[in-house]
Amino acid sequence: MPEVKLLSDGIFEVTKDKKQLATKNLDPGKVVYGEKLIQVEGIEYRTWDPRRSKLGAMFLKKFNIPLKKDSKVLYLGAASGTTVSHVSDIVSGGAVYAVEFAPRSMRDFVVLASRRKNIHPVLADAGKPDSYAHIVEPVDLIFQDIAQPNQAEIAARNAARYLKRDGYLLLSIKARSIDTVANPKEVYKNEITKLEQAFEPKFEVLNAKDLMPYHEDHLGILAKMR
Amino acid sequence: MKINTWFGVLGIGRTGEVLEFELFSKNIRELARCSIVLQENRQHLPPAGFDLKTAALECGFIESSAEYYSLLHEVTLEAAKIRVSEALTADQRIIQAVEALDDINETTNSLSERLFEWYGSYFPESGLSGEALAILIAKYGSRENISPEDPLYSRARDSMGAKLEAADEVLLKGFAESLYSLYGRKRQIENYVQDSMESTAPNLSLVAGPMLGARLISLAGSLEKLAAFPSSTIQVIGASKALFKHLRARAPSPKHGIIYSHPLINTSPWWVRGKIARALAAKLSLAARIDFYSGEKDFSLVEKLEVKVEQIKVSNPKPSQKKQDSGVKPKKKRRK
Repeated sequence: MPEVKLLSDGIFEVTKDKKQLATKNLDPGKVVYGEKLIQVEGIEYRTWDPRRSKLGAMFLKKFNIPLKKDSKVLYLGAASGTTVSHVSDIVSGGAVYAVEFAPRSMRDFVVLASRRKNIHPVLADAGKPDSYAHIVEPVDLIFQDIAQPNQAEIAARNAARYLKRDGYLLLSIKARSIDTVANPKEVYKNEITKLEQAFEPKFEVLNAKDLMPYHEDHLGILAKMR
Repeated sequence: MKINTWFGVLGIGRTGEVLEFELFSKNIRELARCSIVLQENRQHLPPAGFDLKTAALECGFIESSAEYYSLLHEVTLEAAKIRVSEALTADQRIIQAVEALDDINETTNSLSERLFEWYGSYFPESGLSGEALAILIAKYGSRENISPEDPLYSRARDSMGAKLEAADEVLLKGFAESLYSLYGRKRQIENYVQDSMESTAPNLSLVAGPMLGARLISLAGSLEKLAAFPSSTIQVIGASKALFKHLRARAPSPKHGIIYSHPLINTSPWWVRGKIARALAAKLSLAARIDFYSGEKDFSLVEKLEVKVEQIKVSNPKPSQKKQDSGVKPKKKRRK
């Protein structure tokens, strides 16, 4: 019999042969990206691969993931929805506003979103937060995984419009998409300084860690508005 | 203050309370269409931090929070579907076609090599390869069936090849037919790309040739992106490995990427290729911009390019005298 341990709101550790991160499947019986489904006492869990998901990696890197059952989340860079599916599992009674710019990724994502009622897909440019102002309500968490050179600025502009006063910003910085040749450590330092000082609102960085060994040259950041 | 929301147009007071409202009808498709329009014109935005759900409840658009989210879900999903289906533009179709063409080229190459080896044991003197060989085998099968009128008849009669058994003949004939039909498909796609490039990107097609033009669009991702690239980027599209090697370490910069396949470059002597690549890239970038923003055919681009290339060739009749290959590497500053 597999064992289940609650690690954080909606995030579990399921032990079957080996310890694995998992979330409760909101859409029972369905596999999203080839993850395993594990039944424990009538509840279905989906394993969460930290190598496929920066949010999963952040959790294993001991980040505090500020998500609750009824949280509202603005997710920038939904791609085909690997991570969004887990966020949707965690905030089963909340809402995920999932912004993605590439029609090709959105095509796959729409299939996922149509099966999960708490996902609201938005095909738009995260760099133009005004373009979804008529849809998105104030949120408790902004998660950003967009690999753009000006991603710190994009995060700040979205936070200014949509983040609640006591909300959090979680982002993954991809060093290689900010500067292909610079030393990643330098890039990280610059990006943190930018978040703390360059834009309005200014942030207080609560945690910043490299996502090795799950993702190379990526930095996870948890921040709050100052 | 007037604001636009996905469920209607509201007039709100200073503290965000709803004073007046004009609600849209609860038709999902109409709401989705409205949402797309609002996304594009971005006017009368709600103030930062405005609570849409509470406002929707206040003006009675929905009765409960649950209804709000389930309706919003349907509307955003529908809007996303509409935008996805509208995303298939002419340049995206060209990209699919030209990428399919590359796949077919790869496949026909390896299949025709296989056929050449395979049939070679039975009729090594045929002297044919590729499509011609496929046609021969599809037509006759064994070399014994080659008719006396065919120029290959005497060679087939005196061939040292092994005898082709009936079972093998069936296999080979089928294989050759498949290959032959792939060659047909290839021509069909080439014609399609040529025609669509002529109507979608006439100037690019004129300067680069339809195939190279289509490949440039494919590598850039879309005609819009190609039009936004600086010409120095167009010059090295397709040479990203060499480019990043250059940026990271001491490697020389690439002179040309995929535009190397342009006859102006690959028929010119090596010492002017870099210069010509630069001139060509400049014109390609102009062509892409004209195609994306106006679409009118401009013949002067090619004329100017030819004049420029002629100038380059005249002023550089010989390789430059700088000794590059004397064994001593030029000193180069190390990049940080």
